[in-house]
Amino acid sequence: MSIPAEPRQREFEDEALIHLDALYGLALRLSGGDEPRAEDLVQEAVLKAYRAWDRFEVGTNCRAWLMTILRNTFINQFRQQKTRPSPVEFEQIAERPSSDALYDADPEGRIFDRMIDDQVIAAIDELPDEFRIAVVLSDLEGLSYQEVAELMGIPVGTVKSRLFRARKRLQERLYDYAVEMGYLK
Amino acid sequence: MSGCGTDSPGGSHSGERELTCEESLARVYEYLDGELDSGEHEAVKDHLEKCRQCYPHYDFERLFLDYVHELGAGEESRPGLEERVREMLAAEPG
Repeated sequence: MSIPAEPRQREFEDEALIHLDALYGLALRLSGGDEPRAEDLVQEAVLKAYRAWDRFEVGTNCRAWLMTILRNTFINQFRQQKTRPSPVEFEQIAERPSSDALYDADPEGRIFDRMIDDQVIAAIDELPDEFRIAVVLSDLEGLSYQEVAELMGIPVGTVKSRLFRARKRLQERLYDYAVEMGYLK
Repeated sequence: MSGCGTDSPGGSHSGERELTCEESLARVYEYLDGELDSGEHEAVKDHLEKCRQCYPHYDFERLFLDYVHELGAGEESRPGLEERVREMLAAEPG
């Protein structure tokens, strides 16, 4: 395969493919650690970006443009595929009263300096879809409540409550890890 | 958010109605996320930073969110992905 790439393709590859690891990182978190699904998502997003390349203004933020395409692609897929999976898990996290075990055991938050990132990522990946997506978009990607609400097609109040529940659930998982690792008793 | 213990207002000097502990802690994530309008932001800040009972809860949540933000979505590499993407692009009509 030594046929030279078309100039348009070459230009796109030079500008866009340096962001492939960032796109795959976001795709992995959005899909809860599902590697084949994350790759499909990256491929679809890159293809969309390539087809729209003529509309991209050179000199603007290519990474941000690609990440937006990937987020939108994911959400479209999610909304189409989501009939009603994981209702039990969803109800559990939505209804269960949250505990403050981590705060009670470590109010000064010393554990955050000792926590291994992979464990926290695993805890995020394990959140039910609706909660994980809110955390990824808001906490990892820095989107506002309004932006998350518009993307997910839900009211801002629902974003707030999902974030609250998801963060408390994460703290509970971090408490469990901390006890397992012997950081906390 | 449990363990506040009191519902008495903190020491606000803003002239607006002072928030109770319960009201302030209920808004701690919105406050930390920068999602409150400026008047409410100041009222919550005034309470959380001055109330001896609420401050540790607020500080803990701040450290927690800082940690998660710092984590970010991150970059991950997948073996062969770049080659597969290049092949996909090459197969696209110019």
